[in-house]
Amino acid sequence: MAYKPQFYPGTTSVGVNRRKHMSGDLEKLRDISDADVVTIMGHRAPGADYPSTHPPLAEMGEPDCPIRQLVEPTPGAAAGDRIRYSQFADSMYNAPAIPYWRSYWGAINCRGADPGTLSGRQIIEARERDIEQYTKVQMDSEMTDVALCSMRGCTVHGHSLRLQEDGMMFDMLARTEMGADGNVYYVKDQVGIPLDRKVNVGKGMSEAEVAKRTTIFRHDNIPFGGAQGARKFDEGLIALHHMWERRSKWGYRPE
Amino acid sequence: MGKIHSKKLFVKALNKKFGKELDLSGKTTTYERKGPTQNARKVEFMEASKKLEGKRGISFYNPYVHAGGVPLGQRQLVPYKLSTTEYVVEGDDLHFVNNPAMQQMWDDIRRTIVVGLDMTHEVLEKRLGKEVTPETINNYLEILNHAMPGAAVVQEHMVETHPGLVDDCNVRIFTGDDDLADEIDDQYVIDINALFPADQAEEIKAAMGKTTWQAIHIPTIVSRTCDGGTTSRWSAMQLSMTFIDAYNMCAGEAAVADLAFAAKHAAVIQMADMLPARRARGPNEPGGVSFGFLSDMVQTSRTKPDDPPQVSLNVVAAGTMLYDQIWLGSYMSGGVGFTQYATAAYTNDILDDYSYYGCDYAIDKYGDWCSAPVDLETAKDIATETTLYGIEQYEAFPTVLEDHFGGSQRASVLAAASGISSACATGNSQIGLAGWYCSMLVHKEAWGRLGFFGYDLQDQCGPTNVFSYQGDEGSPVELRGPNYPNYAMNVGHQGEYAGISCAAHAARKDAYTLNPLIKVTFANPALIFDFADVRKEFGKGGAREFRAAGERSLVMPAV
Repeated sequence: MAYKPQFYPGTTSVGVNRRKHMSGDLEKLRDISDADVVTIMGHRAPGADYPSTHPPLAEMGEPDCPIRQLVEPTPGAAAGDRIRYSQFADSMYNAPAIPYWRSYWGAINCRGADPGTLSGRQIIEARERDIEQYTKVQMDSEMTDVALCSMRGCTVHGHSLRLQEDGMMFDMLARTEMGADGNVYYVKDQVGIPLDRKVNVGKGMSEAEVAKRTTIFRHDNIPFGGAQGARKFDEGLIALHHMWERRSKWGYRPE
Repeated sequence: MGKIHSKKLFVKALNKKFGKELDLSGKTTTYERKGPTQNARKVEFMEASKKLEGKRGISFYNPYVHAGGVPLGQRQLVPYKLSTTEYVVEGDDLHFVNNPAMQQMWDDIRRTIVVGLDMTHEVLEKRLGKEVTPETINNYLEILNHAMPGAAVVQEHMVETHPGLVDDCNVRIFTGDDDLADEIDDQYVIDINALFPADQAEEIKAAMGKTTWQAIHIPTIVSRTCDGGTTSRWSAMQLSMTFIDAYNMCAGEAAVADLAFAAKHAAVIQMADMLPARRARGPNEPGGVSFGFLSDMVQTSRTKPDDPPQVSLNVVAAGTMLYDQIWLGSYMSGGVGFTQYATAAYTNDILDDYSYYGCDYAIDKYGDWCSAPVDLETAKDIATETTLYGIEQYEAFPTVLEDHFGGSQRASVLAAASGISSACATGNSQIGLAGWYCSMLVHKEAWGRLGFFGYDLQDQCGPTNVFSYQGDEGSPVELRGPNYPNYAMNVGHQGEYAGISCAAHAARKDAYTLNPLIKVTFANPALIFDFADVRKEFGKGGAREFRAAGERSLVMPAV
């Protein structure tokens, strides 16, 4: 029988959503154009050539190497693209994605990607044309709610703050704004440089929708440990306890 | 002993920060984006900068260049309440540069050295045939309190220091021998019986035996100008000269070398170990202060012995300030971000609330302090409950989450509360450490986020070094310190580990955590910083009510 990765335990919606993010089996909710994604990322102008850091691999006369024969280069690596990034901040008020799960998604599903995980932001670095593709997948899919997630290269402050009255995550640099038509617009790129034109990324999800799609455990939605005084541990917590105990007991006793 | 928790300790602080009328459970707010002028301290900074700019001839502080021209203060700039105190200060007031009490806490540690007297007395008696009596010791101490601040003895026509600049310098002795202590002039004695509860005094004296020690605090201005490594050298020079004077020795005789050797090496206890070359610091610098020593420097254990969490939380405050703000935040790195990590652990009564909750839970379930089984099950139970409780408070009170707006702050606070509670419940610091790591993993798994990279580095592999005692694998947490390999570069951990090492002993009602001599030395009432009430002292510093030592205004033109 072929091995089928299980990815994550639990039957709650959070457990199910975590499995979806890790497996890459994501629902596509919107279609933001390549040009718009590139504009928000801010590394190159849409349509401009990709700057390169080395000639295409095919022209470089690479050494005879079994690893090179085994691993097919990504399109960006083959072309010699420079390494660029996209970074997302996700609100703790039920944003669909959370930093570790963006990283797990990247590490499992994206070739040639280097995910970095922090509390208020999550970055993936890769060759430029590769990261553009990975970024589009994130922005188009159920990993993103445009009101509660935003691309922020710096000054990311906002994930833990109360939401604005219009339901959007606070952004000191005000890179996004809610339009009169109810759509969310990027008015600055991910490092806060004003755009020549606003980029429409569509409408935010309802409260009920984000509660359904989120991967964060919260006591006011899907609790991780039941209620105070009546604890009931999620399967994820039981598995975690097991790992913690094994790490503690056998850290220096590998028998 | 029973539980001492009062629920939701942080509500009062939140009302002070955000205003009484605010709905603390509201998930949305209006961001007015008022900029830096909403905050009195930022306004003061801007005015000061404007005045000084002409004098400097170069541009200076200007919060309008912040973030490409979007000024600081897009989010409401809120003040901080020092936990358990009435002090409410601006965040800026908690940067050690702006807070003289914080500076003095570190100054008081760095300028301190403990030197045994028994070895030198033996040299005097056995080798030189001198008589050592309480009278000669009193005479010696009078001369020493003249010489240690930087005054001359024995030699003629010497330069000396101005007493007004070095009045914080003093030397007192302490001993486990009550008879000897009675014979010494009160002004020269740290009176263990008067300063410590009776049971703690007995425990300390039993540990010391009849040995006698000098608690030496050289002038703050000296250690600020030089470094921690200076303390033993400055002290040893003045000790040697004083012995020569007090016991009528020959200035050049070989026995003096024995006295100097005792004062510099053989009978010395540094406050901090020397660090390896890659960290490039001498002894008595913050990276070498072990968690156990820091725990012993803080004196809440003798003033509030029935409140183990409070004892531990004062150690956490001292540790986060020293290790995060000064050591990692300045010696090893730079800038301003480290203060933000540290303040979460000693402001707004949040860590207090979580710690008391965890201790209450343990006492309800297991009976009393130190009565829970010393095993992993206990750590798992208490740490999981405490972490889940803390997570729920962040969720139920969005202003608490907003106050601890960084994941590293929340991770440190949740894990510290879990560690302190587990240690208090069992009286075992290793169980506390196990609780810390359990909390880190629970937190990360619940929210899918933790702290900055250091939390990945250290906390996800951390359980492996709990219960490991061999030198290359671990160490009792009391003996670990900021230079422990897995801890050496991670802000938001070290002060909390010191608190956990303290918690076990505080709950056991131990008189000290690691070294009774350190505990007694910092009980010296003549220290400028009050180590019994660390957070209050930080509040005083922030409120500009604290007068530090080591000032130079006496010998400079008035501003």
